[in-house]
Amino acid sequence: MQSHGLEELEYQHGGLLVRLKKASSARPAEIRAYAEPGPVRLAIPPVAETPSTAAASAPDGQADSLHTIKSPIVGTFYSAPSPEAEPFVTVGASVDVGQVLCIIEAMKLMNEIESDVAGEVVRIHVENGKPVEYGAPLFDIRPRK
Amino acid sequence: MFKKILIANRGEIALRVLCACKELGIRTVAVYSEADRHALHVRFADEAICIGPPRSSDSYLNIPQVISAAEIADVDAIHPGYGFLSENANFAEVCEASHITFIGPSPAVIRMMGEKDRARAEMAAAGLPIIPGSDGVVPDETAAADAAAEIGFPLMIKAAEGGGGRGMRIVRNEKELLPAFHTARAEAEQAFGSPNVYFEKLIERPRHIEFQVLGDRHGNVIHLGERECSLQRRHQKVLEESPSTVVDDATRKRMGSQVVDALKKVGYSSAGTVEFLRDSSGELYFIEMNARIQVEHPVTEMVTGVDLVKSQIRLAAGERMKDVIPAVKFHGHAIECRINAEDPEKFTPSPGRITAFRVPGGPGVRVDTAAYADAVIPPYYDSLIAKLIAYGDDRAEAIARVHRALDEFVVEGIKTTIPLHKRIITHPDFVSGNFDTHSLERMFESQKKRN
Repeated sequence: MQSHGLEELEYQHGGLLVRLKKASSARPAEIRAYAEPGPVRLAIPPVAETPSTAAASAPDGQADSLHTIKSPIVGTFYSAPSPEAEPFVTVGASVDVGQVLCIIEAMKLMNEIESDVAGEVVRIHVENGKPVEYGAPLFDIRPRK
Repeated sequence: MFKKILIANRGEIALRVLCACKELGIRTVAVYSEADRHALHVRFADEAICIGPPRSSDSYLNIPQVISAAEIADVDAIHPGYGFLSENANFAEVCEASHITFIGPSPAVIRMMGEKDRARAEMAAAGLPIIPGSDGVVPDETAAADAAAEIGFPLMIKAAEGGGGRGMRIVRNEKELLPAFHTARAEAEQAFGSPNVYFEKLIERPRHIEFQVLGDRHGNVIHLGERECSLQRRHQKVLEESPSTVVDDATRKRMGSQVVDALKKVGYSSAGTVEFLRDSSGELYFIEMNARIQVEHPVTEMVTGVDLVKSQIRLAAGERMKDVIPAVKFHGHAIECRINAEDPEKFTPSPGRITAFRVPGGPGVRVDTAAYADAVIPPYYDSLIAKLIAYGDDRAEAIARVHRALDEFVVEGIKTTIPLHKRIITHPDFVSGNFDTHSLERMFESQKKRN
């Protein structure tokens, strides 16, 4: 588990169920209430999206100052801690360093994605429940001075 | 049959698997690192998912990322290609736990074949000949004499705890035995902290002969003949061919059937290759098994007419061997040249942008490649950029074809080993079929001397 960076592993075969959990202070809340995502079609990205092109797509023209949070893993994007709860953040929200912005579910594990800057959420790139790949832009944040 | 397959690989083998899937009407999902954003396997797949930064350990070897991609794309199966996760028993288990079919043998068999000592023991128990040896540490002079009597000369003394030539001695007769035994032990103690040595029969001028096998999920196993892979540099295969000039029909039938029997006993399924060393008297000794599809599989495809990757997929989906490959017939001769992005004399890697790329064609020529004009060969992965395979009715025609195809293969912007292959296929030792695993090094030595 260590060498593959796994926090939790559940393995079932026949009558055997093995569950291994790594003791970790940053364990995200478990959520089982979501429906399984349906078959997904991910478009092949046409051109490598560099940080500058992502920032330049911001509507208000303050391209240089935007910081884009990108997905560090492949998984499914969830904007709220549970289906009934309010989203972690909305456009216009003020966030601090370390604040949880969303959850990305991968292999049944919920990974909390934290902001690495303090500022204002200017754009949310992904809809709730949609799949994301490594490097997919998630949030544009205008850093606070 | 599977509806969707994720290809957990890159480069030419990812394209190869893509071919097979498309021909079977299966949807394809490519995974790629940021360095492979413009790779052909990404472009030609139905779906593509970026799984990490350039380094293999962060992307193609990253099990959670690969499995997560398989889940969000909702695939039925994963084809691991060769290298990367193809012989990772853990990965095969995680696939199973995630209800995704791993296109390869079972995790238990992968694990068995991955532990080389265990594989040798199991294959010996299943009836395959292995290199005669001391079967463990030779502790003292009496044991040494006994072992030597059983193994015969020449034999090799090897350190149990390490390699690299230290603690190694060749013994050609009884007189040399005890002095060599003591010197080897002293050297081993110095180098590895343990004087333990074992003995093994020395195979001089060995040839590397391997057998291609396929197994279904119902206990049926077949072989598809052998490949000659003796032309190697630093244990990396450079050129392969089928059939071997030193394997006749009788040997092929005999060894093939021994291999099939042994693999049935261990419950082997999917594609695999059983590797042997052949000594100068023609005896074949099992050395190891590769539980995956291999780089050089095309030479077998050419001489049998069997699509090994499509067969792998169909067998993994549960089809029976008799329906997938009712019979195996051999015809003609095939040669494969592995073309690497390397300096053809110094073998230093040559990544970079390809500025011109013209692939040869014509009768009997096949090129498996993911390279193209304007492609950038990244520095993060292995240097194989193309496999040139030539097929003919006989070996002479195959050689003539590969020669003309090498002349017509244009790659500019990076260095490749095309010039090296031209030297090999015109070398008298290659043409005569008279070579072994040390031949390539000898060919270079004489080249250096001429220069």
